[in-house]
Amino acid sequence: MSNSITFRGGVHPLHGVHEGKAATCGQAVIDYTAETVTIQMGMHLGAPSTPTVQVGDHVKLGQQIADPVGFLGLPVHASVSGEVIAVGPVQTILNPAAMAVTIKNDFKDEWVDGLEPLGDVETAPVEKIIPAIKNAGICGMGGASFPTHVKFAVKEGQYCDTIVLNGAECETHLTCDHRLMLEQSKRIVDGLRAAMRALDVKKGIIAIEDNKPDAIEAMRRAAAGREGVEVMPLMTKYPQGGEKQLIQVVTGREVPTKKLPLDVHVIVLNVGTAKAIADAVIEGKPVISRVTTVTGHVNRPSNLRVRIGTMADDLIAACGGISIPEDQVGKIVMGGAMTGFPFPNTTHIPLAKGNNGVVVYSEAEAVDYEEDPCIRCGRCVEACPIGLNPFKLKYFCDAGDMKRAGEWCVMDCVVCGSCSYICPAHRRLTASFKAMKDKIAAEARKGKG
Amino acid sequence: MKLHLTPAPHVHSPQTTRALMGNVLLALAPCAVAGVVIFGAPALVLMAVSVLSAVAGEACWQRLTGQKVRVNDLSAAVTGLILGMNLSPRAPWWLAVVGGLFAVVLVKGLFGGLGDNFLNPALAARAFLLVSWPRYLTTWAAPLAADAVSGATPLANPSGYTLGQLFLGNIPGSIGEVCKAAVLVGFVILLCTKTITWHIPVSLTLSTLVFCGLLGYNPIAAVLSGGVLFASVFMATDYVTCPMSTKGQLVYGVGAGLLIALIRKFGLYPEGVTFAILLMNVATPLIDRYTKRRVYGYEKEAKA
Repeated sequence: MSNSITFRGGVHPLHGVHEGKAATCGQAVIDYTAETVTIQMGMHLGAPSTPTVQVGDHVKLGQQIADPVGFLGLPVHASVSGEVIAVGPVQTILNPAAMAVTIKNDFKDEWVDGLEPLGDVETAPVEKIIPAIKNAGICGMGGASFPTHVKFAVKEGQYCDTIVLNGAECETHLTCDHRLMLEQSKRIVDGLRAAMRALDVKKGIIAIEDNKPDAIEAMRRAAAGREGVEVMPLMTKYPQGGEKQLIQVVTGREVPTKKLPLDVHVIVLNVGTAKAIADAVIEGKPVISRVTTVTGHVNRPSNLRVRIGTMADDLIAACGGISIPEDQVGKIVMGGAMTGFPFPNTTHIPLAKGNNGVVVYSEAEAVDYEEDPCIRCGRCVEACPIGLNPFKLKYFCDAGDMKRAGEWCVMDCVVCGSCSYICPAHRRLTASFKAMKDKIAAEARKGKG
Repeated sequence: MKLHLTPAPHVHSPQTTRALMGNVLLALAPCAVAGVVIFGAPALVLMAVSVLSAVAGEACWQRLTGQKVRVNDLSAAVTGLILGMNLSPRAPWWLAVVGGLFAVVLVKGLFGGLGDNFLNPALAARAFLLVSWPRYLTTWAAPLAADAVSGATPLANPSGYTLGQLFLGNIPGSIGEVCKAAVLVGFVILLCTKTITWHIPVSLTLSTLVFCGLLGYNPIAAVLSGGVLFASVFMATDYVTCPMSTKGQLVYGVGAGLLIALIRKFGLYPEGVTFAILLMNVATPLIDRYTKRRVYGYEKEAKA
């Protein structure tokens, strides 16, 4: 702990129980392939892609099945080989009717022709790296799903001097990045090196919370002898892996309000994204699978390497099913406890590229607290990693006062959940800020359009 | 499948309002016990009446105004107990009733209830009783162990007591404040349960010590002979009426200490703690405003 560094604020959720990670962090990733996959067109931040296949088409593994739309657009690829059995809206975690392509797996795993591997990351042609990232359909695998090639779009007058790989995995329950760092250390460093070469960046830092000493060790070994790559242990504290906090801790810089990491010459990539970049550069392969943590009340909590578009109910079944009676299941969450999304009343939800976990909570763990009056204890103020005044901001947000909420910096909120977690009166601070942020963003779009 | 759909975060710190108030009650217990040991049954009766009056008063107020009855959060119990401990053990029982009702209805309920009162309810009630019935609050019962029947507060005559007497509470005074040893135990309980931080009690006490010393009082006696320690641990730290940031809390503590010294030197009352903290309560929004943390990504403090 002593030589680990950190930011001001933050909380320690599930601290007494290893952040809920103990059940899965010690086991190797298991491969699981489902009989059908339902691949969403809107897995990345940005406009959903347009499907280019029809029901009855036979597709090969890695074949492009949708075209990108707009500046933030990404192509989508078949994650299994087989027959397209549906093209149409399905229920996803946030959208009751999202366009998706469903493919019945023929289990032949026949790769599409014409993959264009660039070979070794140290010798691959520099100008071909970013196009390869885009063509592989890579978006942030840590959850935010921002198209990765857009992060690399350095504008006139900008430059990048540091790429930070985010291996903090500060969320509760999730261990997929931890396992990936242990099992794919070299690939992750390869991905980092490819990214560094693409933008001629001299410094690459792999940042890992100090509750994962084995991952720190594994990444150090993999990074040994690689140009400009170092590993930095961080204090275990939530939200250490938040982009703004990570940049602050690793580089000592702050991203100015309304600006992006590139404005302080930094790009942050999740370790899973780095691995995907390496696959795209070395083998020319698009994103067809990811590692995801399935834990909580399931019979065999595990990390599974699954095809994109695998249904959550298949994931849960692959882990031996839910281990408590159905009427005692309180909540199922896509992602960690601090920022994950609750499943609607079904588990028939497909996994997207950014989905890093499925966690089953019992009724007792999922209590819906009633909001009590704020006692002005100041815990939210101490916990906010951004330095906001959550208790005060909530009054403006609840009153719909966009002007004053904006003046009290609601748009700088990173929606980490620390204030809601710590509030002894169980006030739903984060949810109210999220709603206000969405409202202000929608107004801004309306103003432009 | 029927699932909860409440948004993130999906886990919650075990700390609740009720648990925090429970910690305060626990921390007050040593002082309450010491008060009963030192002053006998009347102290127990006064504290009990005061708690009952505050809790019943709040419940009735909330019921009459159509609000949810929230006395389970224990905040009214804390207010009642602190008020009772601030009374002279000789005060009549009805004084505790009036004080309890004044605290929870006029100071707290009328301003919006828990969290919206800008004055500490127990302190405001004590100030009200002090100016309305000064006789009852300044006639001190002597401890059971002492020979005298009644006496002046040691603040008026500090040289009459040894430091040991002042520390253990074998002196005339209010029920809860006399035993400084018990106050310190309470302080440790509040720190260990992370209910409060050290900033306000320490800055307030040190500030009183320094400023009283500068104004010519014996600084140690100035802190030990009145209610400074009790108030600094249990009353100045009331969440609702003290600043949020640690910087603000230090300003608040130092300011209260300065006011205590000034009131003692130049004011009408020998004590001054009640009015000093009430004045700092009023200054709290201003202190909060000028001690806001800089927001990430801004050069200077954001305006607003």
